[in-house]
Amino acid sequence: MTIKRGFLKVSLLAALVMLVSLVLAACGDNTATPVPATTAAATKAATTAAGATTAAGATTAAATTASGATTAAATTAAGATTAAAASTLTGDIPIGAVWSLTGGAAIYGPSQKNAADMAVDEINKSGMLGTAKIKLITEDDRSVKEGGIPAFDKLINQDKVVAILGPTLSSTALATNPVAQDKKVVVLGVSNTAGGIVEIGNYVFRDSLPEASVIPNTVKATKEKLGYKNVAVMYGDDDAFTKSGYDVFKKALDDNGVKILTTETFKKGDTDFSAQLTKIKSLNPDAIIVSALAEEAAGIMSQGRQLGIPTTVKFIGGNGFNSAQLAKLAGAAAEDAISGAAWFISNDANGNQNFVKAYTAKYGTAPDQFAAQAYAGVYILATAIKNTGAANSTAIRDSLAKLKDIDTILGKFSFDDTRNPVHTPILQIVKNGKFELFK
Amino acid sequence: MPDFISNNIATINFSLINIALGLSIFITLFTGMLSLANAGFMAIGAYTAAVIATRTDFPLFGGFLLAIIVAVVVAIIFGLLIVRLREIFLAIATLGFGEIVRIFFLNGDKVVKAFTGDENTNVFNGAEGITIKYKSPQDILGLPETTWPLLLYVAVLIYFMITLQKSRFGRVLSAIRLDESAASTLGINVVRYRLLAFVIGAGIAAGAGALSTPIVRVIEPRNYVFGRAVDILASAVLGGMTTWIGPVLGAILLTALPEILRFLKDQREIVNGLIIMIAIIYLPRGISDPRFWSSLWRKRKSGQGNAAEVATEKEKEVKTG
Repeated sequence: MTIKRGFLKVSLLAALVMLVSLVLAACGDNTATPVPATTAAATKAATTAAGATTAAGATTAAATTASGATTAAATTAAGATTAAAASTLTGDIPIGAVWSLTGGAAIYGPSQKNAADMAVDEINKSGMLGTAKIKLITEDDRSVKEGGIPAFDKLINQDKVVAILGPTLSSTALATNPVAQDKKVVVLGVSNTAGGIVEIGNYVFRDSLPEASVIPNTVKATKEKLGYKNVAVMYGDDDAFTKSGYDVFKKALDDNGVKILTTETFKKGDTDFSAQLTKIKSLNPDAIIVSALAEEAAGIMSQGRQLGIPTTVKFIGGNGFNSAQLAKLAGAAAEDAISGAAWFISNDANGNQNFVKAYTAKYGTAPDQFAAQAYAGVYILATAIKNTGAANSTAIRDSLAKLKDIDTILGKFSFDDTRNPVHTPILQIVKNGKFELFK
Repeated sequence: MPDFISNNIATINFSLINIALGLSIFITLFTGMLSLANAGFMAIGAYTAAVIATRTDFPLFGGFLLAIIVAVVVAIIFGLLIVRLREIFLAIATLGFGEIVRIFFLNGDKVVKAFTGDENTNVFNGAEGITIKYKSPQDILGLPETTWPLLLYVAVLIYFMITLQKSRFGRVLSAIRLDESAASTLGINVVRYRLLAFVIGAGIAAGAGALSTPIVRVIEPRNYVFGRAVDILASAVLGGMTTWIGPVLGAILLTALPEILRFLKDQREIVNGLIIMIAIIYLPRGISDPRFWSSLWRKRKSGQGNAAEVATEKEKEVKTG
């Protein structure tokens, strides 16, 4: 018994040690500020110079180091004076970014991070914000709310950011954005398309066109061009994205007077769609509407064609189609698949081709829509900061709300009264395994 | 509120939730049952509390109580079916239960529609889940009001676990874990006690789920996938299963580690995994393993001299172990 109690004491002690170490670790993180680092570097350079002068024979080296140190010192001094003199933009503007770099959504996060980093570099180099620089602080949310909520807390409380880009997933945004709204920090979602996001409050914006604005356009335009009257609908009912896509499709089809012959469902990860497709084939629809992510959409297309659904019956879908994976997985069956999208790689919007070129050169792969919207998001924020000339969150909020018809790689861009994006969505069709503009 | 707490409040909240979940699986492990149903019971608790919070004016406490009641009722019914299963068979049956619960909440509205005949009912809202309206939490005595219930809950649970290990009930559960047939020859109704442990674990998990709703804010089926059940188990395994301190330490470590390692940027997940792997390899009985810490303690003592005492203790250890 006494031994057991001894164990208990020891274990309690261990718990205490753990807690203390946790506290210390967290505190250590707090104290790391970038400002002393520069000072330290300057001092180091100065001391090196001093040390070198005493040593004979190394005069040249000493001179260079010394001059380097002076320049560094001079710049710091200059920076300080500007900060004191003018009340406009100077120094670092801390902006946070929360991406899903690991976990389930890790296929989207990295391209967002790449594009946002690239945009920040460009803006800082171009002097778009004068002497001020954007300091982008990127955090990973592990694709879960349990990672996103602490990431927002850290950015808001410790890094004191004026605005946050992201988070990648809509479901995370629903949990994290109320915190930012509460603390009056601007959030600009660049990939959130679900409902209820901008409704959180007047500090929450997004530049990602929700499916609710893309799909009605898709239905209207394809109905005009293809003239279909009866369609079959398929959707994934266990995924928030494909389910809400279906809801919008249904409404748009009803509004356009299209008759839905049947509605079939499937689950994420399903590979066999033959039962649903056989039923659809027997009903002879004019077109098949599919609200699915690329993997399932590819399966549906290839099995549909195998079952003998004629190629005149086109597959029409939402943003889930908008992936290079689709044509890769479905091959010839993906041919003529039509989908609406917010961005298109060959679009001739101002700067888009430069962006595609620069991104491809830097990262070795072509950008996707997630990259494009993140890139545009950084520019939209920077434009708002430039317009208002102040780096505080409320000023940026007001400035963002006033943005009208600015040039972005997504096209002419504005925010509407509900802080949703306004720009023309495009329609694309798969031709020879590549997306082309649907005309 | 001190800066340390306000800066890390989310991590503290999630740690408390995970401690409660860790303790919920601890009670079944303590009885020698490997049950993976706790993610499912957490979902039941969270959904019950979320429905109460969004559809009625009851305070969180009401949702919390109802969540536990619902989970206990479900656990009794389900427990009667599976409690005679052993080891891996029990694990698979409970794993299946977790998935059934998740899929029920995913498609629950269809069931409700079938019963009510109303096409527009959206109780569970499918894959999108229930979003709890965010209210800026007020500070009460230096902690946000959402943290207090969790802290109290965890305190009560820990008190329960401490008394459990010393009580007759706890010793009965221990006896079942160590040798079931021996326990039953002593007149212990094994099935009844196993059921009781299962139901208590379910109730604890449901309570944790209910109290997590104001913190997680979006209650969707994706929160309660198989991975969640593994996470719950991981905190007990990593922390150690000999005492209640194990799941507590394991939950704190698993929740806080990714946040502490944020400064590592891209390498974070790698280092996180590495630390956990090293802990499992070198401390297979968990980080709270009393033998490891007591041997450390003895080493420290021996450093101060008196090697003879250590030698005798080692001899003792050899004899007993």
